[in-house]
Amino acid sequence: MFRLKSLLTGGVIATLLVTSAFAKRGADGIVKILNWQAPSMMNPYLAGGDKEVIAASLVLEPLAGYDENGVLFPRLAAEIPTVENGGVAEDLKSITWKLKSGLKWSDGSPVTSKDVVFTANYCMDPKVGCAALAGFQGVDKVEALDDLTVKVTFKEPTGVPYTLFVSQWSPIIQANQFADCLSAKAPTCTEANFYPIGTGPFVVTSFKPNDAIQLKANPNYRDANKPAFAEVNVKGGGDALGAARAVLQTGEYDYALNLQLAPDVLSEMEKGDKGKAGFTFGTTVEFLFMNLTDPSPSLPPEERSTAKHPHPILSDVRVRKALSMALDRARLSDIGYGSMGKPTCDFVPAPPIFAAGSTSCLQQDIPGAKRLLDEAGWRQGPDGIRGKDGEKLKLTLVTTTNPVRNQFQAIIKQWWHDIGVEVELRSIDASVFFGSDPSNPETYSNFYADAQMWANYFSGSDPGAYAESYTCGQSHGSNTPRYCDTNYDALVTELGKTADIEKRGEIVKKLNTILMDSYAIMPLVWRAGVSGISNTLGGTASNAWDSELWNAQDWYRNK
Amino acid sequence: MLNYAIRRLLISVPTLCLISLVIFSLLKMAPGDPLSQLPPSLPPEVRANMRAALGIDEPLFVQYLLWLKQFFVIEPLHGFDVLFGTHFTDGMQRIISWQSRGPVFRIIAERLPQTLLVVGLAYIVGLLIALPIGIVSAYKQYSVFDQIGTFLSMLGLAVPSFFSGVLAILIFAVYLDWLPTIYNTNLIVNSWSSFIEQLRQMAMPVMVLAVQTTASISRYLRSSMLDNLNQDYVRTARAKGMGENVVVLIHVLRNSMIPVVTVIALGLPSIFAGAIVTEQIFKVNGIGELLITAIYANDVPMVQTLAFIFAVLIVVFNLIADLFYGLLDPRIRYD
Amino acid sequence: MISEPSTLKRDKRVSDDDVLLRISNLSLHFPTYRGVFGRQDGGIRAVDGVNLDVRRGRTLGLVGESGCGKTTTGRVILRLYDPTGGRIVFDGEDITHIGGNKLRRMRARMQMIFQDPQACLNPRMTVGSIIAEPLNEHGVLRGTEKERRICELLDSVGLNPKFANRYPHEFSGGQRQRIGIARALALSPEFIVCDEPISALDVSIQAQVVNLLKDLQERLSLTYLFISHDLSMVRHLCDDVAVMYLGKVMELAPRDLIYKNPMHPYTKALLSAVPVPDPRLERARQRIVLKGDVPSPADPPSGCRFRTRCPVAFDRCAVEQPAWRKLAGDRWVACHRAE
Repeated sequence: MFRLKSLLTGGVIATLLVTSAFAKRGADGIVKILNWQAPSMMNPYLAGGDKEVIAASLVLEPLAGYDENGVLFPRLAAEIPTVENGGVAEDLKSITWKLKSGLKWSDGSPVTSKDVVFTANYCMDPKVGCAALAGFQGVDKVEALDDLTVKVTFKEPTGVPYTLFVSQWSPIIQANQFADCLSAKAPTCTEANFYPIGTGPFVVTSFKPNDAIQLKANPNYRDANKPAFAEVNVKGGGDALGAARAVLQTGEYDYALNLQLAPDVLSEMEKGDKGKAGFTFGTTVEFLFMNLTDPSPSLPPEERSTAKHPHPILSDVRVRKALSMALDRARLSDIGYGSMGKPTCDFVPAPPIFAAGSTSCLQQDIPGAKRLLDEAGWRQGPDGIRGKDGEKLKLTLVTTTNPVRNQFQAIIKQWWHDIGVEVELRSIDASVFFGSDPSNPETYSNFYADAQMWANYFSGSDPGAYAESYTCGQSHGSNTPRYCDTNYDALVTELGKTADIEKRGEIVKKLNTILMDSYAIMPLVWRAGVSGISNTLGGTASNAWDSELWNAQDWYRNK
Repeated sequence: MLNYAIRRLLISVPTLCLISLVIFSLLKMAPGDPLSQLPPSLPPEVRANMRAALGIDEPLFVQYLLWLKQFFVIEPLHGFDVLFGTHFTDGMQRIISWQSRGPVFRIIAERLPQTLLVVGLAYIVGLLIALPIGIVSAYKQYSVFDQIGTFLSMLGLAVPSFFSGVLAILIFAVYLDWLPTIYNTNLIVNSWSSFIEQLRQMAMPVMVLAVQTTASISRYLRSSMLDNLNQDYVRTARAKGMGENVVVLIHVLRNSMIPVVTVIALGLPSIFAGAIVTEQIFKVNGIGELLITAIYANDVPMVQTLAFIFAVLIVVFNLIADLFYGLLDPRIRYD
Repeated sequence: MISEPSTLKRDKRVSDDDVLLRISNLSLHFPTYRGVFGRQDGGIRAVDGVNLDVRRGRTLGLVGESGCGKTTTGRVILRLYDPTGGRIVFDGEDITHIGGNKLRRMRARMQMIFQDPQACLNPRMTVGSIIAEPLNEHGVLRGTEKERRICELLDSVGLNPKFANRYPHEFSGGQRQRIGIARALALSPEFIVCDEPISALDVSIQAQVVNLLKDLQERLSLTYLFISHDLSMVRHLCDDVAVMYLGKVMELAPRDLIYKNPMHPYTKALLSAVPVPDPRLERARQRIVLKGDVPSPADPPSGCRFRTRCPVAFDRCAVEQPAWRKLAGDRWVACHRAE
């Protein structure tokens, strides 16, 4: 009897919990999100960075998105088209998306295939300056077969045809609203860029660029019970420290993005017991890139750092390998990132199906590195620096001005000095280093140095395009080391034609081995994204493959 | 006076033209790129396309002339359109921010109220505290009050707001939990509770800024008062049988305010320019914060427009200060 | 003739010897501090035991070198400084320590004309308001009556009444001093301290101002304390003359006596420095040239103050302070040698 009673009570409590989690739309009031980097617009296609894209994901939705495990799930699409269900053509040259029926924009008008086609036309318009253009590049045409069906035809067979209309970078915009924003008029469409009409769980009610965004629950959202929050306030400005304080220490805000802070600072703040810091390991890896071509300033500008002139020192793989062996990645990770980083030997560290999980590079081996350099003909000079044919083993290492990176530089310099390599360090402001001006000699893409260090990542969960960026003939912006290997290229071509996920995983692992054995790029630390989450906020699920706010419709207030 | 003002305004036109050119050239020479926050894996062709859409690759003088045209013709015309419902500027390109692709002036108009409210209020509060402190410090020179006032002023001048602001947050928000650390821009004051909420969120930034105003103005006033307290006309006033209140507040204070009013007037542009550090710390979305985010994002049109507006304000308030001087001091005539 | 406000009509008490102002043993010491903690270590004896009588309707000249304490004495009398010792009796009333409203009411009866006519006028007030201010403060007159009074005052010092709306800087030095005088006269005082009123003016204007003062004295039966270092002006204007040296009065005598037969060696030295308008006499004139500098008032010599520079000093002067003695002919002197 007693037991039955307790069971019943337990059941009642469980039911209560469930109902609170699945309450009616708007029942949980306001959720406050802090994005200190401050979004400046709500149109991801014109955005200057991730921050705008994440904010826009509350309003605009793609056909399909990635869940927290990196698995595609349909958002506006009825299902994910695959070869098996006939959505993807056997020859991999087209994909046919079917929209959910009865979808409505937040203004009440129906979502049709015309909107999808318009989105493609908008981004592929060269005068728009679309940030997601890369995903549309292999597209031959996008056509509406009927009101709910869209067919995308590619020029080449495409193993992963989910580059457009998938993930936060490529949502569907309303044709009606953006009709006048094509071509050169795109930037003047302020209303549309600030207040886009979307299908997502929320609608913008007030947008203040680089400051605050107010949103309310979308009255036409497809799930009548969601979102649980009636309003979202996104606040920007300040810095990561202040943002962490507001969520973890004072509890003024519910969620804070991008809290790249020292691990001890975060753990100290968590003692306030108002919230927790959440780490998400995605695809971001801190790399050392070796320049395989000669950056010498004595060369003519158009030939400097090009495949025409191999690097006098680094074109020897033994030297590169020795440089890699001299590194203690675990130490670096520990010093720089603590629990927010892991040492890695993979250029694709995740998702698991693509990660090779190699550990071969983790062991530091200074004597081995020295032997290797001896073998390569670099002999120790009287000053401890190696030399060959009267030339010194001297390298420049460039990175952005950033405390962690500059600390890494100093440590790496010491290790390399231990094996007889003289290192000159330089650091450049991030906005210059990552700049897009081709005439600026300091950019990472011009690479007028021997080695550089920065973090690279790919969006979404499929590394296809990412792997492709290291093929021969790719521009220097993507293939920074100027790496070129026909075996690698052949495998990438094969990958492009492979749709089966298991097979793709195997190919990527092989690619990983080839690229890592070349030591043209050296992974150092696999870095996590950090968010602050209030203890009163429920339903969050960190997602490294899509927008952090991908499931905001499922968020609720812990009672 | 009017002739003088007009002459000064005319002189300031070439000055401002030169300033605009200098601002433009400096920004162009400064390193940085508006697209640097895009993921590095983005293909260079896409980047080049985006650059072209922003107009970065146009020749420099074309960019400069375009900006001049936008600033001096299109924007004023647009203002006219908004005021009188006309449509002169339809289809014309206003100054567009690279970050938000929104018109720069629209964003400035959105930011200005917060800055005016917070920084302006801080200025007023600072003055209201500074005046009595300055007066009493001078009147009771070397008294305990004066010594404490001097010490606190030095402290106020010496402690930067990035320190005092964070200290205030730690004390009032983290430990005492009295005040919010983040300024809520969307708060609408329509009830007593929201009014109090507004006061609470303004309290810390206003106090941090007011301390600095208080410190400097009270020092100015004190020394100016001391200069005047020993003047013969003060003795005359006493000899006339005036009460001490009249002597100090009418005779001494009014004369001492002449240089202080000038200092106050010269400080007024900062109310519009905002407070970069303090706004950043308390997340007040004012002009200062706008400027610093625009600088970080290499949003050249925004930075350029803001910098030029500041230049105009400084020139104008210098003129106002000079005219004020003439109004306050009958010995000065502008002819 | 200037109309006198009824409220200010003073009861013409006849005091025993017709002395309007009597100061006895008046002293003012400014403390000085030194060291990190500002210990007081003595003081500057700006005024050190001054005795003076000013008779009603007369002018007492107070002469001496600069720094001897004449101006300070004048200011202490008007209670612009608080004396540290002695008594000030004005019209039979001890005003040494009165304060507040009593003092302010007394100020209506005692006024001052300052040395620098520029600095003593508030630069931000018009002439009219400078003159009107004491009238407002003491609540004497209102509205048109006040306007008329201001015009009268300006007129009485020889200024165009239209000047009332102008600012002090628009006037010349002489005019400004006239404004200062008008201002001092506003409340119809009985007693005016004239603190070197002419020394900042051109010679040509000096005479005008002095004559104006003289004229006003006759019309309004004023009593003056005329502070000056200009002995010839003092001779022209004053009835009695007091000679000050280092915070003390050395000699006090009716004008004719002191100029004809000075008793104190300091007075003799001062008078010998006055040029004589006759070139022949001027050339023959014997000057007594004093040696050395005026000693510091913070550390005055023992005994007689003047002994360090006195041509006829002897032993006793260093030991004993000479008493303030009355001599024949209603004159006073502080010197061991004086007979």
